[in-house]
Amino acid sequence: MAPKIIDVPKTDPGAYNPNRPAGTLLRSQAVHMREALIKHVHELTTLLNIEMSSLKTEADVSAYVHKATALLHTRTGKPAKK
Amino acid sequence: MSAGLDNLKHIVVLMMENRSFDHMLGALMQKNPKINGLTGNESNADTSGAIVKVQPNAQFQSQLDPDPDHHFPGVDLQIFGGAPPAAGRVANMQGFVKDYFSQTKDVNRSHNIMYYFTPDKLPVLTTLATEFAVFNGWFSSIPGPTICNRAFAHYGTSFGQVGMDIFYILDNTIASIYERMIQAGHTAKIYYYDQPSSTMEIVNLLKNQPQIFATFDQFIADCSGNTLPDYSFIEPCYNDHPGADGGQVLASDQHPDHNVREGERFIGSVYNAIRTNPTLWQNTALLVVYDEHGGIYDHVVPPACPPDGYTASADATGTGAPFAFDRLGIRVPALLVSPWIPRGTVVTGPEDPANGQIFEHASIPGTVTNFFLNGDAKRTVREQQAKSFLGLLTDQMRPDDDCVVFNNLQ
Repeated sequence: MAPKIIDVPKTDPGAYNPNRPAGTLLRSQAVHMREALIKHVHELTTLLNIEMSSLKTEADVSAYVHKATALLHTRTGKPAKK
Repeated sequence: MSAGLDNLKHIVVLMMENRSFDHMLGALMQKNPKINGLTGNESNADTSGAIVKVQPNAQFQSQLDPDPDHHFPGVDLQIFGGAPPAAGRVANMQGFVKDYFSQTKDVNRSHNIMYYFTPDKLPVLTTLATEFAVFNGWFSSIPGPTICNRAFAHYGTSFGQVGMDIFYILDNTIASIYERMIQAGHTAKIYYYDQPSSTMEIVNLLKNQPQIFATFDQFIADCSGNTLPDYSFIEPCYNDHPGADGGQVLASDQHPDHNVREGERFIGSVYNAIRTNPTLWQNTALLVVYDEHGGIYDHVVPPACPPDGYTASADATGTGAPFAFDRLGIRVPALLVSPWIPRGTVVTGPEDPANGQIFEHASIPGTVTNFFLNGDAKRTVREQQAKSFLGLLTDQMRPDDDCVVFNNLQ
Protein backbone atom coordinates (compact mmCIF):
# COMPACT_ATOMS: atom_id res chain seq x y z
CA MET A 1 0.00 0.00 0.00
CA ALA A 2 1.27 3.50 -0.81
CA PRO A 3 1.65 6.12 1.93
CA LYS A 4 -1.05 8.69 2.37
CA ILE A 5 -0.31 11.74 0.21
CA ILE A 6 -1.47 15.16 1.34
CA ASP A 7 -1.67 18.02 -1.14
CA VAL A 8 -0.39 21.32 0.23
CA PRO A 9 -2.14 24.34 -1.30
CA LYS A 10 -0.09 26.99 -3.07
CA THR A 11 0.50 30.33 -1.38
CA ASP A 12 -1.58 33.21 -2.69
CA PRO A 13 0.56 34.93 -5.37
CA GLY A 14 -0.43 38.27 -3.87
CA ALA A 15 1.44 37.37 -0.67
CA TYR A 16 4.74 38.67 -2.05
CA ASN A 17 5.44 42.17 -0.78
CA PRO A 18 9.11 43.13 -0.62
CA ASN A 19 7.98 46.70 0.05
CA ARG A 20 6.43 45.74 3.38
CA PRO A 21 8.00 47.89 6.13
CA ALA A 22 10.70 45.92 7.95
CA GLY A 23 9.70 44.95 11.47
CA THR A 24 11.74 45.02 14.66
CA LEU A 25 13.21 41.58 14.07
CA LEU A 26 14.58 42.34 10.62
CA ARG A 27 15.92 45.71 11.66
CA SER A 28 17.66 44.04 14.61
CA GLN A 29 19.15 41.49 12.24
CA ALA A 30 20.66 44.27 10.13
CA VAL A 31 22.09 45.97 13.24
CA HIS A 32 23.66 42.72 14.36
CA MET A 33 25.19 42.17 10.93
CA ARG A 34 26.62 45.67 11.00
CA GLU A 35 28.16 45.06 14.40
CA ALA A 36 29.84 41.93 13.11
CA LEU A 37 31.14 43.84 10.10
CA ILE A 38 32.61 46.56 12.30
CA LYS A 39 34.52 43.95 14.28
CA HIS A 40 35.60 42.40 11.01
CA VAL A 41 36.91 45.72 9.70
CA HIS A 42 38.62 46.40 13.00
CA GLU A 43 40.51 43.12 12.81
CA LEU A 44 41.37 43.77 9.19
CA THR A 45 42.66 47.24 9.99
CA THR A 46 44.76 45.92 12.84
CA LEU A 47 46.39 43.41 10.53
CA LEU A 48 46.97 46.00 7.79
CA ASN A 49 48.67 48.31 10.28
CA ILE A 50 51.29 45.75 11.21
CA GLU A 51 54.66 46.67 9.72
CA MET A 52 55.97 43.84 7.57
CA SER A 53 59.47 44.56 8.87
CA SER A 54 58.28 43.76 12.37
CA LEU A 55 57.75 40.11 11.44
CA LYS A 56 61.15 38.76 12.50
CA THR A 57 60.62 35.14 13.40
CA GLU A 58 58.72 32.22 12.01
CA ALA A 59 56.34 32.54 14.94
CA ASP A 60 55.72 36.19 14.04
CA VAL A 61 54.96 35.30 10.45
CA SER A 62 52.90 32.30 11.46
CA ALA A 63 50.75 34.39 13.77
CA TYR A 64 50.20 36.99 11.04
CA VAL A 65 49.43 34.47 8.34
CA HIS A 66 47.11 32.61 10.65
CA LYS A 67 45.02 35.72 11.33
CA ALA A 68 45.10 36.83 7.69
CA THR A 69 44.06 33.42 6.46
CA ALA A 70 41.22 33.22 8.92
CA LEU A 71 39.95 36.61 7.81
CA LEU A 72 40.35 35.93 4.11
CA HIS A 73 38.81 32.50 4.38
CA THR A 74 35.59 33.91 5.82
CA ARG A 75 35.41 36.26 2.85
CA THR A 76 35.82 33.48 0.32
CA GLY A 77 32.62 32.60 -1.49
CA LYS A 78 32.12 30.38 -4.48
CA PRO A 79 35.12 30.00 -6.83
CA ALA A 80 35.22 32.67 -9.49
CA LYS A 81 33.75 31.61 -12.81
CA LYS A 82 36.28 31.13 -15.56
CA MET B 1 17.79 2.21 25.04
CA SER B 2 14.95 1.81 22.52
CA ALA B 3 15.51 0.56 18.98
CA GLY B 4 14.50 4.01 17.77
CA LEU B 5 17.34 5.57 19.74
CA ASP B 6 19.74 2.83 18.65
CA ASN B 7 19.01 3.76 15.05
CA LEU B 8 19.13 7.51 15.57
CA LYS B 9 21.95 9.24 13.70
CA HIS B 10 20.60 12.71 12.94
CA ILE B 11 18.66 15.32 14.88
CA VAL B 12 17.13 18.12 12.81
CA VAL B 13 15.51 21.19 14.40
CA LEU B 14 13.37 23.61 12.41
CA MET B 15 12.58 26.76 14.38
CA MET B 16 9.74 28.91 13.03
CA GLU B 17 8.68 32.37 14.20
CA ASN B 18 6.12 33.95 16.47
CA ARG B 19 2.95 31.86 16.75
CA SER B 20 1.36 30.49 19.90
CA PHE B 21 0.23 26.91 20.48
CA ASP B 22 -3.47 27.74 20.70
CA HIS B 23 -3.31 29.92 17.58
CA MET B 24 -1.86 27.11 15.44
CA LEU B 25 -2.88 23.85 17.12
CA GLY B 26 -5.54 24.75 19.70
CA ALA B 27 -8.40 23.55 17.49
CA LEU B 28 -6.97 20.02 17.48
CA MET B 29 -8.49 19.45 20.92
CA GLN B 30 -11.82 18.95 19.14
CA LYS B 31 -10.26 15.94 17.38
CA ASN B 32 -8.22 14.65 20.28
CA PRO B 33 -9.16 15.75 23.82
CA LYS B 34 -5.65 14.88 25.04
CA ILE B 35 -4.29 17.87 23.13
CA ASN B 36 -4.44 20.81 25.51
CA GLY B 37 -6.00 23.30 23.14
CA LEU B 38 -9.14 25.38 23.06
CA THR B 39 -12.67 24.60 24.22
CA GLY B 40 -13.93 27.75 22.51
CA ASN B 41 -14.81 29.44 25.79
CA GLU B 42 -11.39 30.95 26.54
CA SER B 43 -11.57 34.72 26.61
CA ASN B 44 -9.99 38.07 27.41
CA ALA B 45 -11.67 41.38 28.16
CA ASP B 46 -11.08 44.18 25.69
CA THR B 47 -10.45 47.81 26.63
CA SER B 48 -14.20 48.52 26.65
CA GLY B 49 -14.74 45.72 29.16
CA ALA B 50 -16.43 43.42 26.65
CA ILE B 51 -15.56 39.73 26.81
CA VAL B 52 -13.81 38.48 23.67
CA LYS B 53 -13.81 34.73 23.15
CA VAL B 54 -11.33 32.84 21.01
CA GLN B 55 -12.62 32.48 17.46
CA PRO B 56 -11.63 30.22 14.51
CA ASN B 57 -11.09 33.17 12.20
CA ALA B 58 -7.31 33.26 11.73
CA GLN B 59 -6.19 34.10 8.21
CA PHE B 60 -2.90 33.49 6.47
CA GLN B 61 -1.98 37.17 6.25
CA SER B 62 -3.10 40.77 6.83
CA GLN B 63 -4.79 40.12 10.16
CA LEU B 64 -1.87 40.73 12.54
CA ASP B 65 -0.61 44.02 11.21
CA PRO B 66 0.77 45.84 13.16
CA ASP B 67 2.97 43.08 14.50
CA PRO B 68 1.64 42.10 17.95
CA ASP B 69 3.81 43.13 20.86
CA HIS B 70 6.07 40.40 22.19
CA HIS B 71 8.70 42.40 24.02
CA PHE B 72 9.19 41.80 27.72
CA PRO B 73 6.77 44.43 29.14
CA GLY B 74 4.09 43.48 26.62
CA VAL B 75 4.34 39.79 27.41
CA ASP B 76 4.24 40.64 31.11
CA LEU B 77 0.94 42.42 30.49
CA GLN B 78 -0.36 39.49 28.45
CA ILE B 79 0.46 37.00 31.22
CA PHE B 80 -0.53 39.03 34.27
CA GLY B 81 -3.39 41.09 32.80
CA GLY B 82 -1.80 44.38 33.74
CA ALA B 83 -1.05 43.69 37.42
CA PRO B 84 2.24 45.41 38.23
CA PRO B 85 5.20 43.27 39.30
CA ALA B 86 4.76 42.43 42.96
CA ALA B 87 4.96 39.40 45.16
CA GLY B 88 1.86 37.25 44.95
CA ARG B 89 0.43 38.56 41.69
CA VAL B 90 -1.36 35.86 39.75
CA ALA B 91 -0.76 34.96 36.11
CA ASN B 92 -4.13 34.83 34.34
CA MET B 93 -3.39 35.21 30.58
CA GLN B 94 -5.88 38.10 30.48
CA GLY B 95 -3.85 40.86 28.88
CA PHE B 96 -3.56 39.87 25.22
CA VAL B 97 -6.42 41.96 23.83
CA LYS B 98 -5.51 44.96 25.96
CA ASP B 99 -1.92 44.76 24.82
CA TYR B 100 -2.84 44.47 21.14
CA PHE B 101 -5.13 47.47 21.50
CA SER B 102 -2.12 49.50 22.54
CA GLN B 103 -0.79 48.91 19.03
CA THR B 104 -3.91 48.86 16.88
CA LYS B 105 -5.75 51.70 18.71
CA ASP B 106 -8.84 49.94 17.40
CA VAL B 107 -11.02 47.89 19.74
CA ASN B 108 -12.40 45.58 17.05
CA ARG B 109 -9.01 44.94 15.52
CA SER B 110 -7.54 44.17 18.94
CA HIS B 111 -9.81 41.09 19.01
CA ASN B 112 -7.75 39.51 16.19
CA ILE B 113 -5.21 38.43 18.79
CA MET B 114 -7.74 35.81 19.97
CA TYR B 115 -8.14 34.22 16.52
CA TYR B 116 -6.97 30.68 15.85
CA PHE B 117 -6.59 28.47 12.80
CA THR B 118 -8.85 25.56 11.97
CA PRO B 119 -6.88 22.39 11.13
CA ASP B 120 -7.97 22.41 7.46
CA LYS B 121 -6.02 25.64 6.97
CA LEU B 122 -2.79 24.13 8.29
CA PRO B 123 -2.62 20.69 6.65
CA VAL B 124 1.12 20.28 7.20
CA LEU B 125 1.44 21.33 10.83
CA THR B 126 -1.75 19.66 12.02
CA THR B 127 -1.03 16.46 10.09
CA LEU B 128 2.43 16.17 11.62
CA ALA B 129 0.95 16.94 15.06
CA THR B 130 -1.61 14.16 14.78
CA GLU B 131 0.51 11.64 12.85
CA PHE B 132 3.54 11.87 15.16
CA ALA B 133 4.06 13.60 18.55
CA VAL B 134 2.80 16.94 19.80
CA PHE B 135 3.98 18.58 23.03
CA ASN B 136 1.30 20.14 25.25
CA GLY B 137 3.97 21.77 27.39
CA TRP B 138 6.71 23.27 25.23
CA PHE B 139 7.26 26.89 26.25
CA SER B 140 9.48 29.63 24.92
CA SER B 141 12.44 30.12 27.24
CA ILE B 142 11.79 33.76 28.14
CA PRO B 143 8.59 35.85 28.20
CA GLY B 144 10.12 38.07 25.56
CA PRO B 145 11.08 38.40 21.89
CA THR B 146 12.99 36.41 19.29
CA ILE B 147 16.67 37.09 19.88
CA CYS B 148 16.88 35.99 23.51
CA ASN B 149 14.62 33.00 22.91
CA ARG B 150 16.60 31.70 19.96
CA ALA B 151 19.75 32.07 22.02
CA PHE B 152 18.46 29.33 24.32
CA ALA B 153 18.23 27.00 21.33
CA HIS B 154 21.88 27.60 20.48
CA TYR B 155 23.53 28.08 23.88
CA GLY B 156 21.01 26.94 26.50
CA THR B 157 21.00 30.50 27.85
CA SER B 158 20.64 34.08 26.64
CA PHE B 159 23.45 35.24 28.97
CA GLY B 160 21.01 37.50 30.80
CA GLN B 161 19.44 39.13 27.78
CA VAL B 162 15.66 39.63 27.54
CA GLY B 163 15.49 41.84 24.47
CA MET B 164 16.56 42.30 20.88
CA ASP B 165 19.93 43.89 21.53
CA ILE B 166 23.14 42.61 20.06
CA PHE B 167 23.89 39.25 21.46
CA TYR B 168 27.03 39.07 23.60
CA ILE B 169 28.56 35.87 24.89
CA LEU B 170 29.18 36.81 28.51
CA ASP B 171 30.55 33.42 29.49
CA ASN B 172 33.08 32.04 27.03
CA THR B 173 33.01 28.69 28.77
CA ILE B 174 29.49 28.06 27.46
CA ALA B 175 29.95 27.05 23.84
CA SER B 176 27.20 26.90 21.27
CA ILE B 177 25.85 23.44 20.57
CA TYR B 178 27.52 23.55 17.13
CA GLU B 179 30.95 24.29 18.60
CA ARG B 180 30.49 21.58 21.21
CA MET B 181 29.64 19.04 18.53
CA ILE B 182 32.52 19.96 16.24
CA GLN B 183 35.05 20.04 19.07
CA ALA B 184 33.98 16.51 19.98
CA GLY B 185 34.45 15.25 16.43
CA HIS B 186 30.78 15.32 15.44
CA THR B 187 29.20 17.29 12.63
CA ALA B 188 26.73 20.16 12.95
CA LYS B 189 25.31 22.78 10.61
CA ILE B 190 23.04 25.80 10.67
CA TYR B 191 21.14 25.96 7.40
CA TYR B 192 19.86 29.46 6.71
CA TYR B 193 17.52 29.90 3.78
CA ASP B 194 19.70 32.02 1.50
CA GLN B 195 22.07 34.96 1.78
CA PRO B 196 19.37 37.68 1.50
CA SER B 197 17.62 36.05 4.47
CA SER B 198 20.72 34.81 6.31
CA THR B 199 20.88 33.85 9.95
CA MET B 200 19.22 35.46 12.95
CA GLU B 201 21.08 36.75 16.04
CA ILE B 202 24.14 34.50 15.85
CA VAL B 203 26.26 36.64 13.58
CA ASN B 204 29.09 36.08 16.03
CA LEU B 205 29.08 32.48 14.85
CA LEU B 206 28.69 33.54 11.22
CA LYS B 207 31.79 35.69 11.61
CA ASN B 208 33.93 33.28 13.60
CA GLN B 209 32.67 29.86 12.54
CA PRO B 210 31.61 30.22 8.89
CA GLN B 211 32.15 26.52 8.29
CA ILE B 212 29.09 25.63 10.35
CA PHE B 213 26.73 27.52 8.02
CA ALA B 214 25.13 26.46 4.77
CA THR B 215 22.01 27.36 2.79
CA PHE B 216 18.71 25.51 2.60
CA ASP B 217 19.56 24.28 -0.90
CA GLN B 218 22.52 22.51 0.68
CA PHE B 219 20.21 20.94 3.27
CA ILE B 220 18.12 19.47 0.46
CA ALA B 221 21.30 18.20 -1.23
CA ASP B 222 22.64 16.81 2.04
CA CYS B 223 19.40 14.93 2.63
CA SER B 224 19.35 13.36 -0.81
CA GLY B 225 23.10 12.68 -0.77
CA ASN B 226 23.18 11.08 2.68
CA THR B 227 25.58 13.76 3.88
CA LEU B 228 23.40 15.32 6.57
CA PRO B 229 25.37 16.29 9.71
CA ASP B 230 24.69 14.69 13.06
CA TYR B 231 22.88 17.85 14.14
CA SER B 232 21.16 20.37 11.89
CA PHE B 233 19.36 23.60 12.75
CA ILE B 234 17.21 25.10 10.00
CA GLU B 235 16.21 28.74 9.68
CA PRO B 236 13.27 29.68 7.46
CA CYS B 237 13.28 32.63 5.08
CA TYR B 238 12.81 35.80 7.13
CA ASN B 239 11.84 38.28 4.42
CA ASP B 240 10.28 38.70 0.97
CA HIS B 241 12.99 39.32 -1.61
CA PRO B 242 13.81 38.82 -5.28
CA GLY B 243 15.37 35.45 -6.05
CA ALA B 244 18.69 34.96 -7.81
CA ASP B 245 16.76 33.81 -10.88
CA GLY B 246 14.61 36.93 -10.87
CA GLY B 247 11.67 35.17 -9.24
CA GLN B 248 9.94 35.94 -5.97
CA VAL B 249 11.15 34.47 -2.68
CA LEU B 250 8.54 34.68 0.06
CA ALA B 251 9.23 34.78 3.77
CA SER B 252 8.45 31.33 5.17
CA ASP B 253 9.04 32.04 8.87
CA GLN B 254 5.32 32.71 9.62
CA HIS B 255 6.27 35.83 11.59
CA PRO B 256 3.29 38.20 11.40
CA ASP B 257 2.48 39.53 8.85
CA HIS B 258 4.23 36.96 6.64
CA ASN B 259 2.05 34.43 4.91
CA VAL B 260 1.39 31.40 7.12
CA ARG B 261 0.73 29.13 4.16
CA GLU B 262 4.23 29.73 2.79
CA GLY B 263 5.55 28.56 6.16
CA GLU B 264 3.38 25.45 5.90
CA ARG B 265 4.98 24.71 2.56
CA PHE B 266 8.44 25.21 4.03
CA ILE B 267 7.76 22.83 6.92
CA GLY B 268 6.45 20.32 4.38
CA SER B 269 9.63 20.70 2.32
CA VAL B 270 11.85 19.98 5.31
CA TYR B 271 9.77 16.94 6.24
CA ASN B 272 9.71 15.60 2.68
CA ALA B 273 13.47 15.99 2.28
CA ILE B 274 13.92 13.57 5.18
CA ARG B 275 10.88 11.41 4.56
CA THR B 276 11.66 10.62 0.91
CA ASN B 277 15.14 9.24 1.65
CA PRO B 278 14.47 5.79 3.15
CA THR B 279 17.85 5.63 4.90
CA LEU B 280 17.57 9.08 6.41
CA TRP B 281 13.93 8.62 7.36
CA GLN B 282 14.60 5.73 9.70
CA ASN B 283 17.57 7.33 11.47
CA THR B 284 16.46 10.96 11.84
CA ALA B 285 14.34 12.81 14.39
CA LEU B 286 12.83 16.13 13.24
CA LEU B 287 11.71 18.69 15.81
CA VAL B 288 9.49 21.53 14.53
CA VAL B 289 9.18 24.30 17.09
CA TYR B 290 8.43 28.05 17.24
CA ASP B 291 10.75 30.53 18.93
CA GLU B 292 8.04 32.42 20.81
CA HIS B 293 4.33 33.17 20.70
CA GLY B 294 4.57 36.52 18.92
CA GLY B 295 2.06 38.23 21.22
CA ILE B 296 -0.77 35.88 20.15
CA TYR B 297 -3.16 34.36 22.70
CA ASP B 298 -2.47 31.11 24.52
CA HIS B 299 -4.47 29.95 27.52
CA VAL B 300 -1.78 28.05 29.48
CA VAL B 301 0.04 29.93 32.24
CA PRO B 302 3.82 29.66 31.77
CA PRO B 303 5.34 27.69 34.64
CA ALA B 304 8.25 28.58 36.89
CA CYS B 305 11.65 27.20 35.96
CA PRO B 306 15.13 26.86 37.46
CA PRO B 307 16.86 30.27 37.50
CA ASP B 308 19.41 30.80 34.77
CA GLY B 309 22.10 32.30 36.97
CA TYR B 310 21.57 35.72 35.41
CA THR B 311 19.34 38.62 36.37
CA ALA B 312 18.02 41.15 33.89
CA SER B 313 17.83 44.60 35.43
CA ALA B 314 14.62 46.57 35.83
CA ASP B 315 15.83 48.86 33.05
CA ALA B 316 16.40 45.92 30.75
CA THR B 317 13.00 44.33 31.38
CA GLY B 318 11.11 47.61 31.09
CA THR B 319 8.59 46.49 33.72
CA GLY B 320 10.13 48.30 36.66
CA ALA B 321 11.26 45.00 38.17
CA PRO B 322 14.27 42.77 37.52
CA PHE B 323 13.83 39.30 36.08
CA ALA B 324 15.71 36.27 37.42
CA PHE B 325 14.90 33.95 34.49
CA ASP B 326 12.74 31.91 36.83
CA ARG B 327 9.59 31.79 34.67
CA LEU B 328 9.25 30.45 31.13
CA GLY B 329 7.70 32.33 28.23
CA ILE B 330 4.39 31.59 26.58
CA ARG B 331 3.62 28.18 25.07
CA VAL B 332 4.53 27.47 21.46
CA PRO B 333 3.77 24.69 18.97
CA ALA B 334 6.28 21.84 19.06
CA LEU B 335 6.21 18.51 17.21
CA LEU B 336 8.60 15.59 17.06
CA VAL B 337 8.61 13.52 13.88
CA SER B 338 10.13 10.08 13.42
CA PRO B 339 8.85 6.72 12.16
CA TRP B 340 9.70 5.38 15.62
CA ILE B 341 6.95 7.51 17.19
CA PRO B 342 3.43 6.04 17.38
CA ARG B 343 0.69 7.95 15.59
CA GLY B 344 -1.22 10.37 17.81
CA THR B 345 1.39 10.68 20.55
CA VAL B 346 0.53 13.54 22.91
CA VAL B 347 3.18 14.56 25.44
CA THR B 348 1.20 15.95 28.32
CA GLY B 349 2.27 19.17 29.99
CA PRO B 350 1.18 21.21 33.01
CA GLU B 351 -2.43 20.03 32.64
CA ASP B 352 -1.18 16.64 33.88
CA PRO B 353 0.54 17.37 37.22
CA ALA B 354 1.38 13.71 37.85
CA ASN B 355 3.01 12.82 34.53
CA GLY B 356 3.23 15.98 32.46
CA GLN B 357 6.58 17.25 31.20
CA ILE B 358 7.74 20.81 30.62
CA PHE B 359 10.03 21.56 27.69
CA GLU B 360 11.68 24.79 26.59
CA HIS B 361 14.33 25.74 24.05
CA ALA B 362 17.20 24.80 26.38
CA SER B 363 15.88 21.26 25.80
CA ILE B 364 17.36 21.50 22.28
CA PRO B 365 21.08 21.83 23.09
CA GLY B 366 20.41 19.74 26.19
CA THR B 367 19.02 16.83 24.19
CA VAL B 368 21.69 17.04 21.49
CA THR B 369 24.46 17.21 24.09
CA ASN B 370 23.04 14.30 26.06
CA PHE B 371 22.59 12.12 22.99
CA PHE B 372 25.76 12.79 21.00
CA LEU B 373 28.16 13.91 23.73
CA ASN B 374 26.90 11.93 26.70
CA GLY B 375 26.24 15.23 28.43
CA ASP B 376 29.91 16.09 28.38
CA ALA B 377 29.97 19.89 28.06
CA LYS B 378 29.94 22.93 30.30
CA ARG B 379 26.27 23.92 30.49
CA THR B 380 23.96 26.24 32.37
CA VAL B 381 21.73 24.90 35.12
CA ARG B 382 18.76 25.63 32.89
CA GLU B 383 20.12 23.40 30.16
CA GLN B 384 21.21 20.66 32.54
CA GLN B 385 17.69 20.50 33.96
CA ALA B 386 15.88 20.82 30.64
CA LYS B 387 13.97 17.71 29.57
CA SER B 388 15.27 15.59 26.72
CA PHE B 389 12.75 14.96 23.94
CA LEU B 390 14.16 11.73 22.51
CA GLY B 391 12.40 9.46 25.01
CA LEU B 392 9.47 9.39 22.59
CA LEU B 393 11.30 7.11 20.18
CA THR B 394 10.09 3.54 20.70
CA ASP B 395 11.17 0.04 19.71
CA GLN B 396 8.63 -0.15 16.90
CA MET B 397 9.26 1.46 13.54
CA ARG B 398 6.14 2.24 11.57
CA PRO B 399 5.99 0.78 8.05
CA ASP B 400 6.66 3.08 5.13
CA ASP B 401 3.07 3.15 3.97
CA ASP B 402 1.97 4.29 7.42
CA CYS B 403 3.77 7.65 7.22
CA VAL B 404 2.41 10.54 5.16
CA VAL B 405 4.09 12.35 2.28
CA PHE B 406 3.29 15.92 1.26
CA ASN B 407 2.64 16.80 -2.36
CA ASN B 408 2.56 19.90 -4.53
CA LEU B 409 5.48 21.64 -2.79
CA GLN B 410 7.45 22.69 -5.89
